[in-house]
Amino acid sequence: MPARVLNNPLKNPERPYLAIGLEGSANKFGAGVIKHLEDGSTSVLSNVRHTYITPPGEGFQPRDTALHHREWALKVINECLVKANISMHDVDCICFTEGPGMGAPLQSVALIARTLSLLFNKPLIGVNHCVGHIEMGREVTGAHNPVVLYVSGGNTQVIAYSRQCYRIFGETLDIAVGNCLDRFARVIDLSNDPAPGYNIEQEAKKGKRLLSLPYATKGMDVSFSGILTAIEAYTYDKRFRADGLPRNSEDQDIITPADLCFSLQETIYAMLVEITERAMAHIGSKEILIVGGVGCNERLQDMMRIMAEEREGKVFAMDESFCIDNGIMIAQAGLLSFRMGFETPLSKSSTTQRFRTDEVHVSWRA
Amino acid sequence: MASSSLKLISTATLISQGAEAKVYKANLTSDPSDPPVLLKHRFRKGYRHPTLDASLTRTRVSAEARALLKCLRAGVHVPGVRMVDVSEGVLAIEWIHGQSVRKLLPGGGEEEPEPEPGSVESLEEYGTPVDALMQLIGQEIAKMHLADVIHGDLTTSNMMLRHPSSFDPQRPTTELVLIDFGLSFHSSLVEDKAVDLYVLERAFSSTHPESEPLFASVLKAYEEAMGKDWTPIKRRLDDVRLRGRKRSMVG
Repeated sequence: MPARVLNNPLKNPERPYLAIGLEGSANKFGAGVIKHLEDGSTSVLSNVRHTYITPPGEGFQPRDTALHHREWALKVINECLVKANISMHDVDCICFTEGPGMGAPLQSVALIARTLSLLFNKPLIGVNHCVGHIEMGREVTGAHNPVVLYVSGGNTQVIAYSRQCYRIFGETLDIAVGNCLDRFARVIDLSNDPAPGYNIEQEAKKGKRLLSLPYATKGMDVSFSGILTAIEAYTYDKRFRADGLPRNSEDQDIITPADLCFSLQETIYAMLVEITERAMAHIGSKEILIVGGVGCNERLQDMMRIMAEEREGKVFAMDESFCIDNGIMIAQAGLLSFRMGFETPLSKSSTTQRFRTDEVHVSWRA
Repeated sequence: MASSSLKLISTATLISQGAEAKVYKANLTSDPSDPPVLLKHRFRKGYRHPTLDASLTRTRVSAEARALLKCLRAGVHVPGVRMVDVSEGVLAIEWIHGQSVRKLLPGGGEEEPEPEPGSVESLEEYGTPVDALMQLIGQEIAKMHLADVIHGDLTTSNMMLRHPSSFDPQRPTTELVLIDFGLSFHSSLVEDKAVDLYVLERAFSSTHPESEPLFASVLKAYEEAMGKDWTPIKRRLDDVRLRGRKRSMVG
């Protein structure tokens, strides 16, 4: 086997590069401008986002979400350009999310990107959403070669880089972890503002009682659908008190919504930490990077930190501005591939709901 | 006061830390002529809620011990069980003197830290040609599957060849031992057996390049040992291969 060449294929740019990224694969529309400088450093010029929030008990439908993105796109893009203090003429390329995601919202955003590309005569770059998360996480945290736990409303994967590809070591066999949380928030009528997962986290802090739930890890894979069914079943239990209060002073043996949130978080995050630990042991890595919307959950970050300490490893996590879907991560991943000479021709700029992380050729890494 | 299994661990030497357990070499008695044992300690995971952690550890330790016993009863070569302590998460099993198949096969030593020169044992030392080794693998897996035990993590790292010095020099023999039943379960389903084989096939192709003829001889020996049970498993294995493990990613 020939020795692996570890020279970085990405050379420092000869002039500063600017890219705008547009993201709208789920219920957030985001736009961001990133700048790559001659010394190889990166600066975020702006990062603007608007979230489509549905009433409690309701999820976001593709059609309404797409409508939201179309309504907000120009406002968000304008604000993003103003904050960055640049004009559309200054950018080198326009990056957009090619997939994976919900069809209608993806199409709306791609349409906006195409229009801008034709109006200003700028090249288009289609970006894989998951690779965007990973690249932004590496940039913000400075993690070198981490095991990546990508947890969001649509995806749950344990990923590690190997030979110009982000290989998926473990993933969910059915629904994503964020989907499980969002749907449970609907069951107990929690608000979707700012995010269902955030409200579950706050509610869980009041919970005391750990209820038994299925624990479904299979090697490095996980499954959440059975857990969702089991936790929903507790809301029909005769001990369940939707208001969280005992009926009288004798009513001691009760289950409150807070207990359910607590039990759900403890169980599913333990599963996620366990599969991450498995991947670390398998690969021999000491770094963990958590990306995706669920990644800003502090309980998950704490658990991961404890696990990392037990293995003498290190956790890299981010705050909500970079964890939750945003335009800047699309700009970052897009600009990296643009600098390697990649471009998406207009005729190939359609979107796809199915786009696996390991299908992307990561040309900018050794 | 610390329990006796924890005291035992404090006198043992740590060999490695896997994903969920620390592995030690220890002596159960003070008599140095007694053979050593391997201790697998599923230590307390600080990140897990104590109740959840205790129940998981309990189920996993006892499941592993049960699978080993079931295999032993069916005549599958696995390490013997020496001690089980479910509340502390400690399992003591027979110490196998030998080498993992991964390191004995060509290409298996890669991705490991640089081995010290001379420390790599070769198949010649074990007096077993590669083809005979593949046959042994097929036979052991067949015996295990006939007993309805599914290993769950069949790789070449989870198989060991006993060192020739473990046997009576008058009657030299070779013995392949299956180890690490941490992910094993009981099932009589054709599906689970086929998936077990598929996992091994993938492990072969990822760790040992150009291993197709190797795995083919494993399957051949497996087929002979399984007898009439082979046909449905073969059919399902073809299905599993087409299906792959990975689902198409939506959203």
